[in-house]
Amino acid sequence: MTTPHRRARRRQGELEGQVLGALREADGPVTAAWVQERLGGDLAYTTVVTILTRLLAKDVVSRERRGRSFVWTPTADVARLAALRMRRLLDGERDREAVLTSFVTALPPDDEQVLRALLETADAQGPTERTSCGNTEPTAADGGTEH
Amino acid sequence: MGLFVFLPLVLPLSAWPVARLAELHLHPRTATRLLTWVAAVMAGCSTLCLALLVVVGTAQLPGNPLPDGWAGPEVRAAVPRDGVAGRAAIPALGLVAAACGRTLWRHGRVTRRARRALTGLRGAPVAVLPDATPYAYALPGTPGRIVVTTALLGGLAPAERRALFAHERAHLAARHHRHLLAVHLAARANPFLRPLRSAVVYTAERWADEEAARAVGDRRVVARAIGKAALLSSAAPTPTLAALAATGPVPRRVAALLAPAPAGRRWPPVFTAVGAAVWGAAAGAVASAMSSANSAVTLFLILHTATPL
Repeated sequence: MTTPHRRARRRQGELEGQVLGALREADGPVTAAWVQERLGGDLAYTTVVTILTRLLAKDVVSRERRGRSFVWTPTADVARLAALRMRRLLDGERDREAVLTSFVTALPPDDEQVLRALLETADAQGPTERTSCGNTEPTAADGGTEH
Repeated sequence: MGLFVFLPLVLPLSAWPVARLAELHLHPRTATRLLTWVAAVMAGCSTLCLALLVVVGTAQLPGNPLPDGWAGPEVRAAVPRDGVAGRAAIPALGLVAAACGRTLWRHGRVTRRARRALTGLRGAPVAVLPDATPYAYALPGTPGRIVVTTALLGGLAPAERRALFAHERAHLAARHHRHLLAVHLAARANPFLRPLRSAVVYTAERWADEEAARAVGDRRVVARAIGKAALLSSAAPTPTLAALAATGPVPRRVAALLAPAPAGRRWPPVFTAVGAAVWGAAAGAVASAMSSANSAVTLFLILHTATPL
Protein backbone atom coordinates (compact mmCIF):
# COMPACT_ATOMS: atom_id res chain seq x y z
CA MET A 1 0.00 0.00 0.00
CA THR A 2 2.93 2.37 0.37
CA THR A 3 3.52 4.84 -2.40
CA PRO A 4 6.91 3.59 -3.62
CA HIS A 5 5.54 0.06 -3.75
CA ARG A 6 2.53 1.18 -5.76
CA ARG A 7 4.73 3.14 -8.09
CA ALA A 8 6.91 0.10 -8.62
CA ARG A 9 3.86 -2.01 -9.44
CA ARG A 10 2.54 0.55 -11.89
CA ARG A 11 5.98 0.82 -13.45
CA GLN A 12 6.03 -2.91 -13.92
CA GLY A 13 2.66 -2.75 -15.68
CA GLU A 14 3.97 -0.08 -18.03
CA LEU A 15 7.20 -1.95 -18.61
CA GLU A 16 5.35 -5.11 -19.64
CA GLY A 17 3.61 -3.06 -22.30
CA GLN A 18 6.84 -1.41 -23.45
CA VAL A 19 8.78 -4.68 -23.65
CA LEU A 20 5.97 -6.32 -25.58
CA GLY A 21 5.82 -3.28 -27.86
CA ALA A 22 9.58 -3.52 -28.52
CA LEU A 23 9.34 -7.22 -29.32
CA ARG A 24 6.58 -6.52 -31.81
CA GLU A 25 8.77 -3.98 -33.58
CA ALA A 26 11.53 -6.53 -34.06
CA ASP A 27 11.84 -8.36 -37.39
CA GLY A 28 12.13 -11.77 -35.79
CA PRO A 29 13.11 -13.49 -32.56
CA VAL A 30 15.44 -11.25 -30.53
CA THR A 31 17.49 -11.52 -27.35
CA ALA A 32 16.81 -9.76 -24.06
CA ALA A 33 19.90 -7.63 -24.71
CA TRP A 34 18.30 -6.39 -27.93
CA VAL A 35 15.16 -5.41 -26.04
CA GLN A 36 17.24 -3.65 -23.40
CA GLU A 37 19.07 -1.64 -26.03
CA ARG A 38 15.85 -0.87 -27.85
CA LEU A 39 14.18 0.53 -24.72
CA GLY A 40 17.11 2.84 -23.91
CA GLY A 41 19.77 2.73 -21.26
CA ASP A 42 18.08 3.12 -17.87
CA LEU A 43 16.73 -0.43 -17.63
CA ALA A 44 18.86 -3.14 -16.06
CA TYR A 45 19.36 -6.32 -18.08
CA THR A 46 17.93 -8.40 -15.21
CA THR A 47 14.81 -6.23 -15.17
CA VAL A 48 14.22 -6.89 -18.85
CA VAL A 49 14.65 -10.63 -18.31
CA THR A 50 12.24 -10.50 -15.35
CA ILE A 51 9.61 -8.70 -17.42
CA LEU A 52 10.08 -11.14 -20.30
CA THR A 53 9.63 -14.06 -17.92
CA ARG A 54 6.41 -12.53 -16.59
CA LEU A 55 5.15 -12.09 -20.13
CA LEU A 56 6.02 -15.72 -20.81
CA ALA A 57 3.93 -16.77 -17.81
CA LYS A 58 1.03 -14.77 -19.25
CA ASP A 59 1.49 -16.58 -22.56
CA VAL A 60 1.90 -13.43 -24.63
CA VAL A 61 5.51 -14.18 -25.64
CA SER A 62 7.35 -17.37 -26.47
CA ARG A 63 11.06 -18.16 -26.25
CA GLU A 64 13.49 -20.65 -27.71
CA ARG A 65 17.04 -21.42 -26.80
CA ARG A 66 19.65 -20.14 -29.21
CA GLY A 67 23.23 -20.84 -28.15
CA ARG A 68 23.70 -19.88 -24.51
CA SER A 69 20.69 -17.50 -24.25
CA PHE A 70 17.04 -17.31 -25.22
CA VAL A 71 15.48 -15.46 -28.12
CA TRP A 72 11.98 -14.07 -27.63
CA THR A 73 9.00 -13.73 -29.97
CA PRO A 74 5.69 -11.96 -29.25
CA THR A 75 2.59 -14.12 -29.58
CA ALA A 76 0.08 -11.37 -28.77
CA ASP A 77 -0.19 -7.59 -28.90
CA VAL A 78 -0.50 -4.95 -26.18
CA ALA A 79 -4.31 -5.05 -26.29
CA ARG A 80 -4.26 -8.79 -25.64
CA LEU A 81 -1.98 -8.22 -22.65
CA ALA A 82 -4.44 -5.60 -21.32
CA ALA A 83 -7.31 -8.04 -21.87
CA LEU A 84 -5.50 -10.73 -19.86
CA ARG A 85 -4.83 -8.33 -17.00
CA MET A 86 -8.42 -7.12 -17.02
CA ARG A 87 -9.75 -10.67 -16.95
CA ARG A 88 -7.56 -11.53 -14.00
CA LEU A 89 -8.92 -8.47 -12.20
CA LEU A 90 -12.54 -9.29 -12.99
CA ASP A 91 -12.19 -12.92 -11.99
CA GLY A 92 -10.39 -12.06 -8.77
CA GLU A 93 -12.28 -9.13 -7.29
CA ARG A 94 -15.58 -9.70 -5.58
CA ASP A 95 -16.32 -6.12 -4.58
CA ARG A 96 -15.70 -4.59 -7.95
CA GLU A 97 -19.33 -3.67 -8.55
CA ALA A 98 -18.99 -0.44 -6.61
CA VAL A 99 -16.31 0.74 -9.01
CA LEU A 100 -17.00 -0.86 -12.34
CA THR A 101 -20.55 -0.50 -13.51
CA SER A 102 -21.17 -3.43 -15.77
CA PHE A 103 -23.37 -3.08 -18.85
CA VAL A 104 -25.34 -6.18 -17.90
CA THR A 105 -25.39 -8.47 -14.92
CA ALA A 106 -25.66 -12.22 -15.08
CA LEU A 107 -28.90 -13.82 -16.15
CA PRO A 108 -30.59 -16.53 -14.09
CA PRO A 109 -32.21 -19.23 -16.29
CA ASP A 110 -35.76 -17.99 -15.65
CA ASP A 111 -34.81 -14.46 -16.63
CA GLU A 112 -33.36 -15.76 -19.86
CA GLN A 113 -36.80 -17.01 -20.92
CA VAL A 114 -38.44 -13.71 -19.99
CA LEU A 115 -35.76 -11.76 -21.81
CA ARG A 116 -36.07 -13.78 -24.99
CA ALA A 117 -39.84 -13.24 -24.94
CA LEU A 118 -39.35 -9.49 -24.44
CA LEU A 119 -36.89 -9.26 -27.31
CA GLU A 120 -39.28 -11.13 -29.59
CA THR A 121 -41.98 -8.61 -28.72
CA ALA A 122 -39.58 -5.80 -29.49
CA ASP A 123 -38.73 -7.32 -32.85
CA ALA A 124 -42.39 -7.97 -33.63
CA GLN A 125 -43.21 -4.31 -33.12
CA GLY A 126 -40.95 -3.59 -36.06
CA PRO A 127 -38.15 -1.07 -36.32
CA THR A 128 -40.06 1.73 -38.05
CA GLU A 129 -42.62 3.04 -35.57
CA ARG A 130 -40.14 5.10 -33.63
CA THR A 131 -42.38 7.95 -32.63
CA SER A 132 -44.70 5.67 -30.66
CA CYS A 133 -41.95 5.20 -28.09
CA GLY A 134 -42.41 8.73 -26.85
CA ASN A 135 -38.71 9.52 -26.89
CA THR A 136 -39.24 13.23 -27.43
CA GLU A 137 -40.40 13.79 -23.88
CA PRO A 138 -37.24 12.79 -22.02
CA THR A 139 -35.16 14.79 -24.46
CA ALA A 140 -36.88 17.98 -23.43
CA ALA A 141 -37.01 17.04 -19.77
CA ASP A 142 -33.42 15.81 -19.45
CA GLY A 143 -31.96 18.80 -21.22
CA GLY A 144 -33.13 21.08 -18.44
CA THR A 145 -31.57 19.27 -15.53
CA GLU A 146 -28.20 18.33 -16.97
CA HIS A 147 -25.40 19.74 -14.87
CA MET B 1 -36.15 10.76 26.54
CA GLY B 2 -36.15 7.01 26.48
CA LEU B 3 -35.95 4.62 23.62
CA PHE B 4 -36.03 7.28 20.95
CA VAL B 5 -32.27 7.71 21.20
CA PHE B 6 -32.03 4.35 19.46
CA LEU B 7 -34.25 5.46 16.59
CA PRO B 8 -31.43 6.29 14.14
CA LEU B 9 -30.36 2.66 14.30
CA VAL B 10 -33.70 1.21 13.22
CA LEU B 11 -35.32 4.00 11.19
CA PRO B 12 -33.54 2.87 8.00
CA LEU B 13 -36.19 0.13 7.96
CA SER B 14 -38.68 2.82 6.97
CA ALA B 15 -36.76 3.43 3.76
CA TRP B 16 -37.67 0.05 2.29
CA PRO B 17 -41.08 1.01 0.84
CA VAL B 18 -39.55 4.23 -0.46
CA ALA B 19 -36.81 2.35 -2.25
CA ARG B 20 -39.37 0.07 -3.84
CA LEU B 21 -41.75 2.83 -4.90
CA ALA B 22 -39.05 5.21 -6.13
CA GLU B 23 -37.55 2.40 -8.19
CA LEU B 24 -40.93 1.72 -9.81
CA HIS B 25 -42.46 5.14 -10.23
CA LEU B 26 -39.87 7.91 -10.30
CA HIS B 27 -37.61 8.87 -13.17
CA PRO B 28 -34.41 6.88 -12.61
CA ARG B 29 -32.37 10.07 -12.28
CA THR B 30 -34.59 11.42 -9.50
CA ALA B 31 -34.78 8.02 -7.83
CA THR B 32 -30.99 7.58 -7.84
CA ARG B 33 -30.37 10.98 -6.32
CA LEU B 34 -33.18 10.77 -3.74
CA LEU B 35 -32.28 7.27 -2.57
CA THR B 36 -28.55 8.07 -2.41
CA TRP B 37 -29.21 11.08 -0.20
CA VAL B 38 -31.63 9.23 2.05
CA ALA B 39 -29.13 6.38 2.43
CA ALA B 40 -26.25 8.76 3.18
CA VAL B 41 -28.20 10.77 5.79
CA MET B 42 -29.51 7.66 7.50
CA ALA B 43 -26.12 5.96 7.52
CA GLY B 44 -24.51 9.12 8.93
CA CYS B 45 -27.09 9.41 11.71
CA SER B 46 -26.90 5.75 12.55
CA THR B 47 -23.11 5.86 12.86
CA LEU B 48 -23.22 9.08 14.90
CA CYS B 49 -25.76 7.45 17.20
CA LEU B 50 -23.48 4.44 17.69
CA ALA B 51 -20.52 6.69 18.45
CA LEU B 52 -22.50 8.71 21.02
CA LEU B 53 -23.79 5.55 22.69
CA VAL B 54 -20.22 4.35 23.01
CA VAL B 55 -19.23 7.62 24.68
CA VAL B 56 -22.21 7.79 27.05
CA GLY B 57 -22.23 4.15 27.95
CA THR B 58 -18.58 3.62 28.63
CA ALA B 59 -16.87 6.91 29.54
CA GLN B 60 -17.15 6.15 33.29
CA LEU B 61 -16.02 2.57 33.10
CA PRO B 62 -12.64 2.05 34.76
CA GLY B 63 -9.79 2.08 32.29
CA ASN B 64 -11.66 4.08 29.66
CA PRO B 65 -9.52 6.97 28.38
CA LEU B 66 -12.54 9.27 27.83
CA PRO B 67 -13.12 12.01 30.49
CA ASP B 68 -15.65 10.89 33.12
CA GLY B 69 -17.63 14.11 32.66
CA TRP B 70 -18.65 12.87 29.20
CA ALA B 71 -21.00 10.43 30.83
CA GLY B 72 -22.37 12.28 33.85
CA PRO B 73 -25.53 11.02 35.57
CA GLU B 74 -27.77 13.43 33.61
CA VAL B 75 -26.43 12.18 30.32
CA ARG B 76 -26.75 8.57 31.28
CA ALA B 77 -30.31 9.17 32.44
CA ALA B 78 -31.15 10.02 28.84
CA VAL B 79 -30.09 6.62 27.58
CA PRO B 80 -32.04 3.56 28.75
CA ARG B 81 -29.73 0.76 29.89
CA ASP B 82 -26.72 2.93 29.12
CA GLY B 83 -24.19 0.37 30.27
CA VAL B 84 -25.47 -2.44 28.06
CA ALA B 85 -26.12 -0.13 25.11
CA GLY B 86 -22.66 1.39 25.39
CA ARG B 87 -20.90 -1.95 25.59
CA ALA B 88 -22.90 -3.31 22.68
CA ALA B 89 -22.20 -0.21 20.64
CA ILE B 90 -18.42 -0.64 20.87
CA PRO B 91 -18.13 -3.78 18.71
CA ALA B 92 -20.90 -2.49 16.44
CA LEU B 93 -18.99 0.73 15.80
CA GLY B 94 -15.82 -1.28 15.28
CA LEU B 95 -17.55 -3.47 12.72
CA VAL B 96 -18.94 -0.44 10.88
CA ALA B 97 -15.51 1.19 10.75
CA ALA B 98 -13.85 -2.01 9.56
CA ALA B 99 -16.49 -2.72 6.92
CA CYS B 100 -16.42 0.83 5.55
CA GLY B 101 -12.63 0.89 5.57
CA ARG B 102 -12.54 -2.38 3.72
CA THR B 103 -15.02 -1.16 1.12
CA LEU B 104 -12.98 2.01 0.53
CA TRP B 105 -9.75 0.07 0.32
CA ARG B 106 -11.18 -2.40 -2.19
CA HIS B 107 -12.65 0.45 -4.18
CA GLY B 108 -9.21 2.02 -4.50
CA ARG B 109 -7.63 -1.32 -5.25
CA VAL B 110 -10.02 -2.23 -8.07
CA THR B 111 -9.62 1.22 -9.61
CA ARG B 112 -5.82 1.03 -9.49
CA ARG B 113 -5.69 -2.51 -10.84
CA ALA B 114 -8.07 -1.68 -13.68
CA ARG B 115 -6.01 1.38 -14.58
CA ARG B 116 -2.82 -0.64 -14.47
CA ALA B 117 -4.39 -3.32 -16.64
CA LEU B 118 -5.04 -0.74 -19.35
CA THR B 119 -1.60 0.94 -19.30
CA GLY B 120 0.02 0.84 -22.68
CA LEU B 121 -3.31 1.18 -24.49
CA ARG B 122 -3.03 4.74 -25.63
CA GLY B 123 -5.37 7.47 -26.60
CA ALA B 124 -8.99 6.80 -27.08
CA PRO B 125 -11.42 6.79 -24.16
CA VAL B 126 -12.64 3.43 -25.41
CA ALA B 127 -10.42 0.41 -24.78
CA VAL B 128 -11.39 -2.50 -27.00
CA LEU B 129 -9.90 -5.70 -25.60
CA PRO B 130 -9.53 -8.87 -27.63
CA ASP B 131 -11.26 -11.35 -25.37
CA ALA B 132 -13.72 -14.19 -25.93
CA THR B 133 -15.73 -13.21 -22.84
CA PRO B 134 -18.34 -10.56 -23.60
CA TYR B 135 -18.30 -7.71 -21.08
CA ALA B 136 -18.36 -3.92 -20.96
CA TYR B 137 -17.44 -1.64 -18.09
CA ALA B 138 -17.25 2.05 -17.38
CA LEU B 139 -14.04 2.78 -15.49
CA PRO B 140 -14.39 6.09 -13.61
CA GLY B 141 -11.59 8.63 -13.42
CA THR B 142 -10.32 11.69 -15.23
CA PRO B 143 -10.72 10.93 -18.02
CA GLY B 144 -12.98 7.93 -17.53
CA ARG B 145 -12.62 4.99 -19.84
CA ILE B 146 -14.96 2.52 -21.42
CA VAL B 147 -13.71 -1.05 -21.51
CA VAL B 148 -15.37 -3.41 -23.94
CA THR B 149 -14.37 -6.75 -25.42
CA THR B 150 -14.40 -7.78 -29.05
CA ALA B 151 -16.72 -10.66 -28.15
CA LEU B 152 -19.43 -8.25 -26.99
CA LEU B 153 -18.99 -5.79 -29.87
CA GLY B 154 -19.10 -8.67 -32.34
CA GLY B 155 -22.50 -9.74 -31.04
CA LEU B 156 -24.12 -6.34 -31.48
CA ALA B 157 -25.36 -4.49 -34.55
CA PRO B 158 -23.84 -1.04 -35.23
CA ALA B 159 -26.79 0.86 -33.72
CA GLU B 160 -26.69 -1.36 -30.66
CA ARG B 161 -22.98 -0.65 -30.23
CA ARG B 162 -23.77 3.05 -30.24
CA ALA B 163 -26.36 2.38 -27.54
CA LEU B 164 -23.78 0.48 -25.50
CA PHE B 165 -21.24 3.32 -25.71
CA ALA B 166 -23.92 5.93 -24.95
CA HIS B 167 -24.88 3.92 -21.86
CA GLU B 168 -21.30 3.73 -20.58
CA ARG B 169 -20.64 7.38 -21.38
CA ALA B 170 -23.75 8.29 -19.36
CA HIS B 171 -22.29 6.40 -16.36
CA LEU B 172 -19.07 8.36 -16.66
CA ALA B 173 -20.65 11.76 -17.33
CA ALA B 174 -23.09 11.53 -14.42
CA ARG B 175 -20.38 10.07 -12.16
CA HIS B 176 -22.58 7.17 -11.10
CA HIS B 177 -19.69 5.56 -9.27
CA ARG B 178 -20.02 8.22 -6.56
CA HIS B 179 -23.65 7.34 -5.94
CA LEU B 180 -22.74 3.67 -5.92
CA LEU B 181 -19.84 4.11 -3.51
CA ALA B 182 -22.07 6.18 -1.20
CA VAL B 183 -24.79 3.53 -1.03
CA HIS B 184 -22.27 0.71 -0.66
CA LEU B 185 -20.75 2.52 2.33
CA ALA B 186 -24.21 3.25 3.73
CA ALA B 187 -25.16 -0.42 3.48
CA ARG B 188 -21.99 -1.28 5.39
CA ALA B 189 -22.77 1.32 8.07
CA ASN B 190 -26.26 -0.05 8.68
CA PRO B 191 -27.39 -3.38 7.18
CA PHE B 192 -30.99 -2.15 7.14
CA LEU B 193 -29.94 0.12 4.26
CA ARG B 194 -29.11 -2.78 1.96
CA PRO B 195 -32.39 -2.57 0.00
CA LEU B 196 -31.48 1.05 -0.80
CA ARG B 197 -28.16 -0.12 -2.17
CA SER B 198 -29.80 -2.66 -4.49
CA ALA B 199 -32.34 -0.03 -5.53
CA VAL B 200 -29.65 2.52 -6.43
CA VAL B 201 -27.57 -0.09 -8.29
CA TYR B 202 -30.67 -0.71 -10.41
CA THR B 203 -31.82 2.90 -10.87
CA ALA B 204 -28.30 4.02 -11.88
CA GLU B 205 -28.39 1.44 -14.68
CA ARG B 206 -31.87 2.60 -15.67
CA TRP B 207 -30.64 6.20 -15.65
CA ALA B 208 -27.82 5.30 -18.05
CA ASP B 209 -30.31 3.33 -20.17
CA GLU B 210 -32.59 6.35 -20.48
CA GLU B 211 -29.64 8.60 -21.38
CA ALA B 212 -28.59 6.08 -24.01
CA ALA B 213 -32.12 5.96 -25.40
CA ARG B 214 -32.06 9.74 -25.65
CA ALA B 215 -28.65 9.75 -27.37
CA VAL B 216 -29.52 7.01 -29.84
CA GLY B 217 -33.06 8.25 -30.37
CA ASP B 218 -34.65 4.81 -30.26
CA ARG B 219 -35.62 3.07 -27.04
CA ARG B 220 -35.94 -0.30 -28.69
CA VAL B 221 -32.35 -0.29 -29.94
CA VAL B 222 -31.12 0.17 -26.37
CA ALA B 223 -33.47 -2.55 -25.14
CA ARG B 224 -32.17 -4.92 -27.78
CA ALA B 225 -28.54 -4.05 -27.00
CA ILE B 226 -29.04 -4.84 -23.32
CA GLY B 227 -30.94 -8.02 -24.07
CA LYS B 228 -28.42 -9.31 -26.57
CA ALA B 229 -25.48 -8.44 -24.29
CA ALA B 230 -27.10 -10.29 -21.39
CA LEU B 231 -27.80 -13.37 -23.52
CA LEU B 232 -24.22 -13.32 -24.84
CA SER B 233 -22.85 -13.02 -21.31
CA SER B 234 -24.98 -15.83 -19.97
CA ALA B 235 -23.52 -18.11 -22.62
CA ALA B 236 -19.98 -16.98 -21.79
CA PRO B 237 -17.49 -19.75 -21.09
CA THR B 238 -16.18 -18.43 -17.76
CA PRO B 239 -18.67 -18.89 -14.96
CA THR B 240 -16.69 -16.63 -12.62
CA LEU B 241 -17.80 -13.47 -14.35
CA ALA B 242 -21.43 -14.49 -14.25
CA ALA B 243 -21.54 -16.09 -10.82
CA LEU B 244 -21.70 -12.73 -9.09
CA ALA B 245 -25.12 -11.29 -9.51
CA ALA B 246 -27.88 -13.26 -7.89
CA THR B 247 -30.91 -11.34 -9.04
CA GLY B 248 -31.63 -10.46 -12.62
CA PRO B 249 -32.52 -6.82 -13.16
CA VAL B 250 -31.90 -7.14 -16.90
CA PRO B 251 -35.42 -8.16 -18.01
CA ARG B 252 -36.87 -5.31 -15.94
CA ARG B 253 -34.55 -2.84 -17.68
CA VAL B 254 -35.50 -4.17 -21.10
CA ALA B 255 -39.20 -4.08 -20.25
CA ALA B 256 -38.84 -0.50 -19.00
CA LEU B 257 -37.22 0.52 -22.27
CA LEU B 258 -39.95 -1.14 -24.30
CA ALA B 259 -42.49 0.89 -22.33
CA PRO B 260 -42.90 4.65 -22.94
CA ALA B 261 -40.22 6.92 -21.51
CA PRO B 262 -40.71 7.97 -17.89
CA ALA B 263 -41.69 11.56 -17.29
CA GLY B 264 -38.61 13.67 -16.80
CA ARG B 265 -38.87 16.22 -14.05
CA ARG B 266 -42.43 15.73 -12.90
CA TRP B 267 -43.35 13.60 -9.94
CA PRO B 268 -46.65 11.78 -10.29
CA PRO B 269 -49.61 13.95 -9.19
CA VAL B 270 -50.61 13.51 -5.54
CA PHE B 271 -54.23 12.60 -6.19
CA THR B 272 -53.62 9.36 -8.06
CA ALA B 273 -53.05 6.03 -6.35
CA VAL B 274 -49.42 5.87 -7.48
CA GLY B 275 -48.85 9.51 -6.71
CA ALA B 276 -50.24 9.23 -3.21
CA ALA B 277 -48.07 6.20 -2.55
CA VAL B 278 -44.90 7.82 -3.87
CA TRP B 279 -45.48 11.12 -2.10
CA GLY B 280 -46.49 9.37 1.10
CA ALA B 281 -43.44 7.17 1.03
CA ALA B 282 -41.14 10.07 0.18
CA ALA B 283 -42.61 12.14 3.01
CA GLY B 284 -42.15 9.16 5.31
CA ALA B 285 -38.53 8.80 4.26
CA VAL B 286 -37.81 12.47 4.80
CA ALA B 287 -39.63 12.38 8.16
CA SER B 288 -37.67 9.39 9.34
CA ALA B 289 -34.40 10.88 8.08
CA MET B 290 -35.24 14.08 9.97
CA SER B 291 -36.23 12.26 13.11
CA SER B 292 -33.12 10.14 12.78
CA ALA B 293 -31.04 13.31 12.53
CA ASN B 294 -33.05 14.85 15.37
CA SER B 295 -32.35 11.94 17.70
CA ALA B 296 -28.66 11.99 16.90
CA VAL B 297 -28.43 15.76 17.37
CA THR B 298 -30.41 15.65 20.64
CA LEU B 299 -28.12 13.01 22.02
CA PHE B 300 -25.19 15.14 20.96
CA LEU B 301 -26.66 18.26 22.60
CA ILE B 302 -27.34 16.48 25.88
CA LEU B 303 -23.77 15.38 25.87
CA HIS B 304 -22.60 18.87 25.03
CA THR B 305 -24.56 20.65 27.78
CA ALA B 306 -23.62 18.10 30.40
CA THR B 307 -19.96 18.37 29.55
CA PRO B 308 -17.78 21.21 30.81
CA LEU B 309 -15.97 21.37 27.47
